[in-house]
Amino acid sequence: MTLLSASIQRCGYGPVNVLSNVNVVVDAGEAVVVLGANGAGKTTLLRALSGMIPFTGKINFGGVARSKVAPDAMVRAGMAHVPQGRGTITNLTVEENLRVGAYTRRDGDVAADIERWYEMFPRLGERRTQQAGSMSGGEQQMLAIARAFMSRPSLVLLDEPSLGLAPLVTREVFDRVAELVRTTGTAVLVVEQNANLALQFVGRGYVLESGEIVTAGTASELQADTSIREAYLGGPAEATS
Amino acid sequence: MSAFFQYCVIGLSNGAVYAMVAMSLVIIYRATGLLNFAQGETSLIATFVVWEAHERGVPLPLGLLIGMVAGFLLGALLQRVAVQPAGDPATAPLQLVIVTIGLLLVLNNAAGLIWGNESNVFDPMFGPSSFSIGGVTIGAQQIGTVAVLFAEALALVAVFRFTKIGLAMRSVASNAESSGLSGIPVSRILVISWGIAGGIGAIAGTFAAPNLGMDATLFLKILVLSFAAMTIGGFDSLLGAIVGGLVVGLITDVLPRYVDWLKEMPLAPAVLLILAVLLVRPQGLFGSQQVRRV
Amino acid sequence: MNPAMSSPWSRRGVWLLALVVLGLFPVLFESGTEQLTRWIPLVVAGIGLNLLTGFNGQVSIGHGAFFGLGAYACGIWVNDHDGQFLMGFIVAIVLCFFAGGIVGLPALRIRGLALALMTIAVGTLFPDIIRQFEGLTGGSSGLGIQTLKLNGRGRLQDRTTEWLAPGWSGFSSDQWRFYVFAIIAAICVAMTAALIRSRTGRALIAIRDNEVAAETNGIAVDRLKVITFGLSAALAGIGGAMFALIDFNLTPDSFNLNFSLNLLVIVVIGGSGTILGPVVGALSVGLFNDVIVKRVLPNDLGLVGPVILGVVLVLSMQFSPGGTVGSIKHVVEERQLKRRTALPPTP
Repeated sequence: MTLLSASIQRCGYGPVNVLSNVNVVVDAGEAVVVLGANGAGKTTLLRALSGMIPFTGKINFGGVARSKVAPDAMVRAGMAHVPQGRGTITNLTVEENLRVGAYTRRDGDVAADIERWYEMFPRLGERRTQQAGSMSGGEQQMLAIARAFMSRPSLVLLDEPSLGLAPLVTREVFDRVAELVRTTGTAVLVVEQNANLALQFVGRGYVLESGEIVTAGTASELQADTSIREAYLGGPAEATS
Repeated sequence: MSAFFQYCVIGLSNGAVYAMVAMSLVIIYRATGLLNFAQGETSLIATFVVWEAHERGVPLPLGLLIGMVAGFLLGALLQRVAVQPAGDPATAPLQLVIVTIGLLLVLNNAAGLIWGNESNVFDPMFGPSSFSIGGVTIGAQQIGTVAVLFAEALALVAVFRFTKIGLAMRSVASNAESSGLSGIPVSRILVISWGIAGGIGAIAGTFAAPNLGMDATLFLKILVLSFAAMTIGGFDSLLGAIVGGLVVGLITDVLPRYVDWLKEMPLAPAVLLILAVLLVRPQGLFGSQQVRRV
Repeated sequence: MNPAMSSPWSRRGVWLLALVVLGLFPVLFESGTEQLTRWIPLVVAGIGLNLLTGFNGQVSIGHGAFFGLGAYACGIWVNDHDGQFLMGFIVAIVLCFFAGGIVGLPALRIRGLALALMTIAVGTLFPDIIRQFEGLTGGSSGLGIQTLKLNGRGRLQDRTTEWLAPGWSGFSSDQWRFYVFAIIAAICVAMTAALIRSRTGRALIAIRDNEVAAETNGIAVDRLKVITFGLSAALAGIGGAMFALIDFNLTPDSFNLNFSLNLLVIVVIGGSGTILGPVVGALSVGLFNDVIVKRVLPNDLGLVGPVILGVVLVLSMQFSPGGTVGSIKHVVEERQLKRRTALPPTP
């Protein structure tokens, strides 16, 4: 079933328009990527979806149509957003970051969920009382993802998880995210520059160029597409590793 | 020698009041990154409410509670109506400074219009009794002031550390964007933060007014001193506000008695301390270091 | 705004008209002259504060201290050196320039909110400093300024507390003083305008907008910031010197924090970062406080004015941060932009 269906005609910052006629669909439980170079508008797209910035158009999420919403309402509706650069709440401890993630929940399972995250990411568990800002980039990325999942969302928006991370660490992050999608059934919409890596973990993708969707298709279709290979995957002759 | 200790006692109890005001300033600075120059005047109105209630026969502790509610409402209202629409403190700090200056003018002069310019008597919460040790007179009110300061600090720390709303306030203070993305209603939290700062302002006034007189100049007299306390302690540290307040109280009440050329300038030591701290160690004693963004 | 208004001739016409009106005012309304004269020191001080805060981005909420310093410097000089009014101005200028430079030095390391805090502290401390140096300043009881009057034969006699017009002018002392002050103020405005339009002025503004970028572009940021502080203080000092020669009596509490805040209000309401802003601000705030409020509420103790001004200040930050002049400029520019980018009518 379709979880998210967004139709954004215009979106930008003041007089500068960034997105034009962007249509994106995410079904329950699937992993989708939006590829694009710097400045293509990927972050702007996620911000529009999660209600951080206004836009002209319509978003249908969880069966309800919205055109301009505050982010905290979207969280309650089941959409979580991991911002670019991880957005760690640096002055809080690891555990407090997770508790913040669960802010909108009213059930009593929060503590149990936190323990489960520590099991999945033992490094977080070791640092649970440490100031979140003192951790490495990779650890902060795990924390940010865990924090987003704490609200038990149906859709997680993930903004460039590879940014500032070493390749091995990035791969591990993507592994974990894929695992989470499989085990929790949460849908993920990730925006990425690193097409090579992202296309190995998702089922479908879009390509965003200068604020417009130029291509869409399954992961294998995108990987096979020669123009995409040239632009994002390093040329037609290279095989994806 | 007992005179010295006497001055210290006076200084500590006065300093406790500066610390109380400084705590309000710290709460607002942590939440919004703003120096609220109008904090004293919000507290002034709240204190006048306490005074009015007491004048009408309400026992002082109850009057204080009423004043705290009034202070909370006023602080919350000002944040929503005057501060939030004026922009983001990170990108336009000067504009917000001007807003707080404007609020200072409005509140201070409005208080003068409503309650007149003569100074009224404000009863000390802990009464006039006192006792002597070795030639030093210590009043119940003085001990009470310091005790209330610590009780207030403990209560604030407890709220910040152990309650959900305290967590939300700390989260917003650290990273408002991520807090919003996690579902925290940032705007409402800011309003509540200003409300709390306003509410505890009533406490500061209740303990400042018996000594300084209940009139519109009450908080102007200690404006510089409370900001000095905040600066010495560190803009974002509650513990710093307490230590800073006590330090400022001590030097302001003790030094001018022994140094002749400070006789007419009781504010000078505090001003010099502000200057020294900002130049040498801007984060104060307990504040966190600020990195200058390029 | 119709195209006719934006031509240089009509702008000059407006200026000429204003000058004529201002020039004739003291002759036509002798009783109002003193009131008008009282606003001139605020104009000059406002120009000084605006230079520092509006154009250079260094917040000063204690500029009353420089104003007061200039006032006392001039007053003390005139007391000791009869009749040397203009010299009193020079003393004020020099002293305040150096004082401003000295304050500007720590301001290099203290920025933004912290600088606002520091200047508030200095501004609040100033009256205390005056009281402390009683011997020089008369302390709390005030400084009376007296000078000897020249009689017809050029010989000193009789103490007087006014600035007498020279015989050849035929003016009363009020009128004479108005013209002298107005000319000084006009020179200050013109010099400030010239400074802002020069390369140095652009550097000042560049520092305000992005200090790091200015530095990497080769601007001597530190030196310029300190000099600007000095100039700004000197202008405030000129205002102070004028102030001293209006009442010929100074008390320390005239220059307290409230006064400094009033200066800030003038600059902001007039329009910070514009050349005419302080002029408009000082005249309108002066008009508001001394004329309108006094007429409407004769029993007011000076409380209603600040309440209203404070509200204006708060609202203006929400709706028109550029102040009066800034908003007018904005509206004018928008219309010019619309005219220039408007599509030609379809055939």
